[in-house]
Amino acid sequence: MLSALRNKFRVSVNTFVRSFQTTAPVATERFDLKRIPADDEGVQGEKIIDLDSVLKQKRNIFPTLESDKELHDGILYKDLPICNIRVTHNNTIFTLTSAEGAVKIIRSCGMEGFKNTKKGTNIAAQTTAISIASKAIDKGYKTIKVRVRGLGPGRLSAVKGLTMGGLQVVSVTDATHVSWNPPRPRKARRL
Amino acid sequence: MFLTLRLLGNRHPSFIARTVFVKNNNVDDACRLLNRILGKEGILEQFRLTRHYEKPFQTRRRVNHEKCKAIYNEDMERKIQFVLRKNRHEPFPGCQ
Repeated sequence: MLSALRNKFRVSVNTFVRSFQTTAPVATERFDLKRIPADDEGVQGEKIIDLDSVLKQKRNIFPTLESDKELHDGILYKDLPICNIRVTHNNTIFTLTSAEGAVKIIRSCGMEGFKNTKKGTNIAAQTTAISIASKAIDKGYKTIKVRVRGLGPGRLSAVKGLTMGGLQVVSVTDATHVSWNPPRPRKARRL
Repeated sequence: MFLTLRLLGNRHPSFIARTVFVKNNNVDDACRLLNRILGKEGILEQFRLTRHYEKPFQTRRRVNHEKCKAIYNEDMERKIQFVLRKNRHEPFPGCQ
């Protein structure tokens, strides 16, 4: 039995080897230029796809001059109430204003009962956002545009919390003050 | 023209620049897109750099480090491209 198997194996190996008869490479063979692929457009395009494809796919994602006149829930875009969110490392402050900037509601994480370092967490920002959203709905605001200022842990969760509270966010704007020739900032922290 | 007029009245008109509309109530996506754009434009970096005064020696050190990193990244990118190259004239060079 075993020998039979071995024979079989040997035969198969022999056939295998035989099938690989090669001829010596011919030096006179000319190189076919067609074998060189043309410069790949695909590779160059791939790098562009990175962010631009997202921007191309979703049209109407950025405001134009006409977007002021668009209606959102029956209100012109420029007349929508604004929710200003000031995000810092230590706190998050929400201010709901009319389109002209008159303050209607103001809430901060500190007012919400979070104290000291807890003020500057994303959970605090989210709960504050939900509470201001419910207050806003009580006052009759439904759709708002959001303007975020500053960097901090509550930046993303603040806007998310507003929608979780039931408000409809039309647009998100960044209004962080950034200067390329600022006055001398305060001295660095010594840690 | 209208845009220039609007800009003349106000150097920083709100809700034109750095604004993303929310589509299908997907706030998360809009925020992330906004952050990605800000990051790519270097606005967030500049914001972080100007929180505290950077002493000249720190600026020098940072710039030098950036230079070294750029050189390394460029060479490494070239090396990776070389290793991953597929469009060779001869698929297995030196194996004839």
